[in-house]
Amino acid sequence: MTNVCVRIAGANGDGVESSGGLLVKIAARNGLKVFGYRGYQSIIRGGHVWYQIRIGDEKLYGHGNKVDILIALNQDGIKNQKNHLNKGAFVIYDNTKVNVDLLKGLDVKLIGIPLLDIAVTTSGDPIMRNTVAVGAVIKLLGISMEAFEQVITSMFGRKGEKTVKDNIVAASKGFNFEGVVSSYKLIGDGKQRYSMDGNTALSISAYASGCKFYAAYPMTPASGILHWFAAHDHKGVLFKQSEDEIAAINMAIGASYAGVRAMCGTSGGGFSLMTEALGYAGMIETPLVVVESQRTGPSTGLPTKTEQADLLFVMHASQGEYPRIVVAPRDIDECFTITTQAFNLADKYQCPVIILMDLFISEHIETIEGFDASSVKIERGKITMTNTGGGRFKRYEYSEDGVSSRSIPGTKGTEFIAPTDEHDEYGDLISDAFSGLDEYVEMRVKMHEKRMRKMDMMLKNEEYFVPKIENPSAKIFLVTFGSTTEAVREAVVLLNKKGFEFGVISFNYLLPLDKEKTTAILQGKKLIDVECNYTAQLAQVIMMNTGIDIKNKILKYDGEAITGEEIAEKVEKLYNSM
Amino acid sequence: MAENITNQNITQGAKTKQVYTSTNKPIWCAGCGDYSVFASINKALTELGIDKSSVAIVSGIGCSSAMPHSFSTYGVHSLHGRLLPTATGIKLANSSLTVIGTGGDGDGYGIGGGHLMHTARRNLDMTYIIMDNETYGLTTGQTSPTALLGHKTKSTPFGVIEMPVNPMALAISAGATYVARGFSGDVAHLSQLIKGGIEHKGFALIDIFSPCVTFNHDNTYDWFRPRIYKLDSVGHDPSNLNAAMEKAFEDVQTKYEKIPIGLFYKTSRPTYEDLELSFKNGPLVKQEMPTKEQIQSILEENL
Repeated sequence: MTNVCVRIAGANGDGVESSGGLLVKIAARNGLKVFGYRGYQSIIRGGHVWYQIRIGDEKLYGHGNKVDILIALNQDGIKNQKNHLNKGAFVIYDNTKVNVDLLKGLDVKLIGIPLLDIAVTTSGDPIMRNTVAVGAVIKLLGISMEAFEQVITSMFGRKGEKTVKDNIVAASKGFNFEGVVSSYKLIGDGKQRYSMDGNTALSISAYASGCKFYAAYPMTPASGILHWFAAHDHKGVLFKQSEDEIAAINMAIGASYAGVRAMCGTSGGGFSLMTEALGYAGMIETPLVVVESQRTGPSTGLPTKTEQADLLFVMHASQGEYPRIVVAPRDIDECFTITTQAFNLADKYQCPVIILMDLFISEHIETIEGFDASSVKIERGKITMTNTGGGRFKRYEYSEDGVSSRSIPGTKGTEFIAPTDEHDEYGDLISDAFSGLDEYVEMRVKMHEKRMRKMDMMLKNEEYFVPKIENPSAKIFLVTFGSTTEAVREAVVLLNKKGFEFGVISFNYLLPLDKEKTTAILQGKKLIDVECNYTAQLAQVIMMNTGIDIKNKILKYDGEAITGEEIAEKVEKLYNSM
Repeated sequence: MAENITNQNITQGAKTKQVYTSTNKPIWCAGCGDYSVFASINKALTELGIDKSSVAIVSGIGCSSAMPHSFSTYGVHSLHGRLLPTATGIKLANSSLTVIGTGGDGDGYGIGGGHLMHTARRNLDMTYIIMDNETYGLTTGQTSPTALLGHKTKSTPFGVIEMPVNPMALAISAGATYVARGFSGDVAHLSQLIKGGIEHKGFALIDIFSPCVTFNHDNTYDWFRPRIYKLDSVGHDPSNLNAAMEKAFEDVQTKYEKIPIGLFYKTSRPTYEDLELSFKNGPLVKQEMPTKEQIQSILEENL
C-alpha cells in the first residue's frame, strides 16, 4: 500500500483551494483514493491556509499526519509548515520569492522552481504558478501528464481552448522541470471515482430522497449544503435563504406540513436559534430533517475549526419531551445512506431527525465508492388521501404505534389545524378552557404517551439504534461516534500492524439507543473512549443508557481534525497504563 | 354604502356554498374585537367561495392565535412570532393554496418583527391579518409594540416611553404590495379589506384595530369611533406611494385626533412565486420525485 500526503500552503486568495481541487480530481479520475482536508481561517484575504491531500492506492481513513510533499506558495508556507514535514519530504517553492533558510538541517528535498516567472511567461496570469507546482507534484507522484490533460480539458473546456492550453503548458513546465523525478509509484485501479465532501454527499442524498425544500441562513460549516441547493434550485428543489435560523426551521416545518420533504441546516449557533421550533415540529408531529454541522465552541468559537461538542445539546434541545432521532454519519459514503434514512424515519415517525455533522465531515473531501441511485427507497409513512371515517378528520388519532395518519393541505375532507399547544385527537386545543379539568388531564396523558410511544416503536421496528462493532474478537475496543470513526479505524489498523488486537465500536445513531443491545455490545470489554470534546459526551450518553463508565478517554478539543496516527500514539501510551 | 356592496357579493359572487367555520367556541372575552375579525374573514371567504381544503390559516401565539381553530380549513397554530415563516413554508411548498396569517400586534411587530420586513419584501401571494389591540392580552396586560406613548400597563406602570411601531409605514417601506387598516367596529368595511387582500396578488398586510375590552381601557371602541375616518371618503389614491406614506403618519401627526382606515397602498409587482425558478413545473408538492437518470446526472458533477 502506498499513500502520499501533499500539502499546499499559502494565503487566502492564492488559489490554494482550486489547485488542491485539481489534484483531487486528477487522482480520483485515475483510480486512486483521495482524502483531502482544508485548514483555513475566518478571513477572506490573507492569513495562512492549507489544503492537505492524501492520495493512495487503498482506502484512506484520514488526511494524514505528516506531509510528504509541500507546495509553499509564500514565505509563511515554509515558516508555518516546517514542523509538519515527514522525513525526506519534498518541498516545492518559488526560488525567486521564497527563502528556505529555515529548513536548513532538516531531512527534506528542496525543489526550487521559478513558479511565478514560468506562469507569467506562459500565460501572463500569475495564478498559473499553482498549475506549474501541480505539474511538478504529478511527476513526483508518478502520475502521467496525460491524466492531467484529460482533467484540465474537461474542467476548463468551456473556458476556451487557450485556457486549457495555457494550463497544460504551465503544468508540463513543472512536470519536466530539472530535478523533478518520479518518486512514488501510485498506480490506480482503473476506476474513475466521484470525489466530494460530506455536505455535497448529504445534499445529493437529500435530493435523491425527494427533499424539495431547503431553508438556511449562511453559517460555516453548513453553508456547503446551502450552496448546493442554491445551485440546483432550478432542478425542482427550492432553496430559501431566510432572514435568520428561526425563520429557516419554521419555513421548513411549514413546507413539511404542506406535504413536501423539507430540511433546514446550520451550525451550533444557528441551531440554538432553532431549538424552540424543534419541539414545535415534535408537537404538531410534522416530519423534519435538521442538519447541525458542529464547529469549535462555545459561542462563535473557532468558526472554521471542528469539534463534536454539540452531541448532548442536540439530544436535549427544546423544552419538554418529544420524540426525536439523532444520527451522526461516520464517513462520506454514510452521508448518503443516513440522509435517506433520516427522511424516511422523519416521515414514518412524524418527528424531527437531527443529522449531526461537524466541520471535518462537512468539508473534507473523499473519493466515494459510488452511490446507487436505485438503492434509494422512499417511505413516506402514514398519509391519508381521503377521509375514510366520514366524520371530522382525527389528525392526532390515538394509535397503537403512536403514529396517526396525516393529511396534506389541498385534500378534501381531511382539513385540520396543527396546534403547537396541547390538543385532542382532532387537533382542537385543550390548553385554554379545558386544561386541568379531569377529562382533559387524562387526555393530556394519553396524547403525550401517544407521541412518546413513537420512540418505543422505532426501537422495536428499526435496526439502526445500536453501535457497530468492527473486529469483534479484539481485546480492546476504541469507542467513538460520527466523523471521528474514520480516524479511529485508521488508528486500529496502525496499532494492529504493531501486533496489538484492537477493535472499533462506533455509534452513528445516538438517539434513541437500544439499551439492551448496546449494553450487550459494550459489556465486559476493555474500552477506550475517543471523541472531539472536553466533557466526553459520548461516554456520558453510554453511561446514561448502559451504566457503563468508560474510564479511559482520548479527548481532543483544539479545533484541528483528529488523525489516526495521533490516536494510535495516545492509545499506546494509555495501553501501557491500563 | 360598503354594506350594500357586501350584500351583493354574497349573493352574486359565491362560487360554492361552503361552511368555513368550525364548531369550536372561540376563547375571546365577550366584546373582544377578534370576534369581528373572525366574522370578517368568514365573510370574505364566503364571498370568494374558495375551496376550503385549499385554504391554510396560520396563527402565532396570543389571543389572536385562536383564530384558525374557529375555522374548518387547513391551518397551523404555530409558535409565538413565527406565523410568517410557517406560512411562507406552506406557500412555497404549495403555491396553489390560499394562505392567510392571523396574528396579534405582539406576535407580528414584537417577537416576530424581524420576519415581517422580509416576508413583505418577498411579496409572496398571501394575506397577513394583524389583530392590533395595542396590548398583550393573553399574558394579562403588558405593553405592546403598538401601545401609545404614556399608556399604562402592568409592565409600564408609569406609562410607555417608547414610540409605537407604525404598521402602515413599516409595511409600505418593507415592500408589502397591499397595505390596509381596518376596525373591528365595522365588519362590512373590514371584510371588504380582507377580501381585497386575499384577492390581491402579492403580500397583503391588514392591521386591524381590535380593541381589548379587558386590558386596554384607553383604546376602546368608543375611543376609536370619533377618531377614525375612511380613506375612501377623502378620495385617497392607494396607488400613490407618497400619499400613502403621508396617511400612514396622520394619526401620530394629529395626536390621534384623525386616524385613517381603509386601503392605504396598493401596487403591483411580480410575486416570489412568479420569479422562483423551481416553480416552473408547478407547485413543489405536485412535482415528481427525481428519476434515477436525474440523480445520476447530478452525481456526474462530482467526477
